[in-house]
Amino acid sequence: MAAVTPIAIVAAGVATPVGLDLETFWSALCTGVDGISAIERFRVDDLRVGRGGEIKKLRTPRDGGLPRCRASALLVLAAEDLRTRARLGADPARVAVVVGTALGGVEEGDRALAEGGVRAAVAGLYDSPAHALARRLRARGPVVTVSTACASGATAMGVGADLLAANAADLVVAGGYDVLCRFVMRGFDALRSLTRERVRPFDRRRSGLLLGEAAALVLMARDADGPRSRLGRLLGHASSSDGSHIAAPHPEGRGLEHAVRGALAAAGVGGAAVDFVSAHGTGTPLNDRIETAVLRRVLGPRAASVPVNSIKGALGHTMGAAATLEAIMCLLASRDGVVPGTAGYEEPDPTCDLDVRGATRAVRSRVSLSTSLGFGGCNAALVLEGAA
Amino acid sequence: MTRVLGVGLLTGWGAGVAALPEEARSAAGERRIVPLATPALTAERFRRASRESLLGVAAVAAALRDSRLDRSAFAGPQTALVYVTAAAYAASNKGFIIAAGSPPYFPYTAPSAVPAEVAIEYGLTGGYVILVGGAAATVDALWQASVLLAAGRATLALVVAVETFEECADLWSRGRWTTPRPLVEAAACAVLAGDGEDLAYGPGEASTLEALATRRVGETLSCAPLVALALARAAGMPRACVTGQWRGRRAQIAVGT
Repeated sequence: MAAVTPIAIVAAGVATPVGLDLETFWSALCTGVDGISAIERFRVDDLRVGRGGEIKKLRTPRDGGLPRCRASALLVLAAEDLRTRARLGADPARVAVVVGTALGGVEEGDRALAEGGVRAAVAGLYDSPAHALARRLRARGPVVTVSTACASGATAMGVGADLLAANAADLVVAGGYDVLCRFVMRGFDALRSLTRERVRPFDRRRSGLLLGEAAALVLMARDADGPRSRLGRLLGHASSSDGSHIAAPHPEGRGLEHAVRGALAAAGVGGAAVDFVSAHGTGTPLNDRIETAVLRRVLGPRAASVPVNSIKGALGHTMGAAATLEAIMCLLASRDGVVPGTAGYEEPDPTCDLDVRGATRAVRSRVSLSTSLGFGGCNAALVLEGAA
Repeated sequence: MTRVLGVGLLTGWGAGVAALPEEARSAAGERRIVPLATPALTAERFRRASRESLLGVAAVAAALRDSRLDRSAFAGPQTALVYVTAAAYAASNKGFIIAAGSPPYFPYTAPSAVPAEVAIEYGLTGGYVILVGGAAATVDALWQASVLLAAGRATLALVVAVETFEECADLWSRGRWTTPRPLVEAAACAVLAGDGEDLAYGPGEASTLEALATRRVGETLSCAPLVALALARAAGMPRACVTGQWRGRRAQIAVGT
């Protein structure tokens, strides 16, 4: 397999439970701010678990009001944050929007069933928020919605990179989003995946995940075309299917390993080049054990000494946004020479014998690996290089 | 260039191009929706599967027959799977939202449920992309499959599309003034190979194939470009320029048929 053309990641914007802009988000991750709280926006009294990474108050953007659809609103806030750091200086017909989501506008679909109306029914389609974002950005190039469940944010960045490499666009706004809504809380509650305790990725006492909501966007350009000032580069990406179960990951992580090896090959680097791993790290007993096994196989003897973290203890699992947030975190970690701690990690688990720490630490990382998994046997991996 | 080895096509009119009427609109009469029967897949593991998932599995089986490939040729990491739908997940979403007693199994509400069942059934473990959108998204899916082939990340690629309407007929009827009639349920799969060169992928004008597909089958949203490919193959065209429109954007791609 041939190495792919590196893609510049020019800038990023976020809306998260721990910060509605990039630097607040980053500072919160590094200082251990807890984004988990009691859910207030919708009814949870009939669920086993009523906590999550809920954004309590959305600010009003400078360029207009917030859309009624919360998913679109989060994307608008992330886009506004992005545009404070970079201009979309290209022919609008050559600006593409590629966003990933696990849930799309499902909350609007729920509303359409309850209240009626054509507008809500259309907003309930999973690709509606991406089109709303494209209109807001006045982007008239390809508008693509990716839905590889909780790997969507990574797959979207991969598709965006492919569009640039194929010269089908000159700039791509790529990323992911999802909202915390009753639909998804009911679903994960029924699956008994949510913990009543703290989320503890890779910890011996980990007992499940909590959900969160967020949007995260990056501005991508061809390496040669992008400005000198940038966050870093996407060196390689790959996706794969487990082909084994509708919901659970492959018991040995076969699909994830295939995606990781594919992304490394596309980046033209081996496991020895990886300085830091941003793990999917949901905090479920199964996920973290499988990821550990995969990283041990891919990184070999170095696996125990390569810094690994998960930010889901701080934010909850933000589903479609998670992988993009984690990719951004990798680039900021390179920029500042620090790796945020894994919130909730206190007691090592012998079956997860990776270099995970609860506290933020100094790490000089150039090349990062970010891993993602999702329902439907979706796996995706990104290999990133910081600008520092 | 990307070559189509076979197309499996199931629509509310029947299996394959031969089942399509000359004029879908007149053949539908007063019907707004032309439904597609649920495939009779009886394996125990399909017990909880959604109708759209079963349709996806059946469409791939039809594509296998059309491409004269054995399922063993598909299995493994060298076959990529790209799935696209505009709204097939809506039925399971609605079922989960309104269920009073036992709702559908939650993972089946995700668009990824359909390709997951396809991947499990055929042992596919290669590149995996799921797009949401109408016909333009299917053009994007054909391009994405070509990218995976061109990069050497796959030697075969399946592009699968499924659309169902019956379960959400009430929602579709709210937009009846803007939705073309008839809405025809469909599931389709194209088997692709080749080097992904010379795709002419990008914005474009409506092709004659797009108009022909709409006339023959009706509105199938994401399945329409795959219907067009099936029609091109049936007509013996060596190369097809496939176009698709969705939400104001029309995209095109050229593939060998």
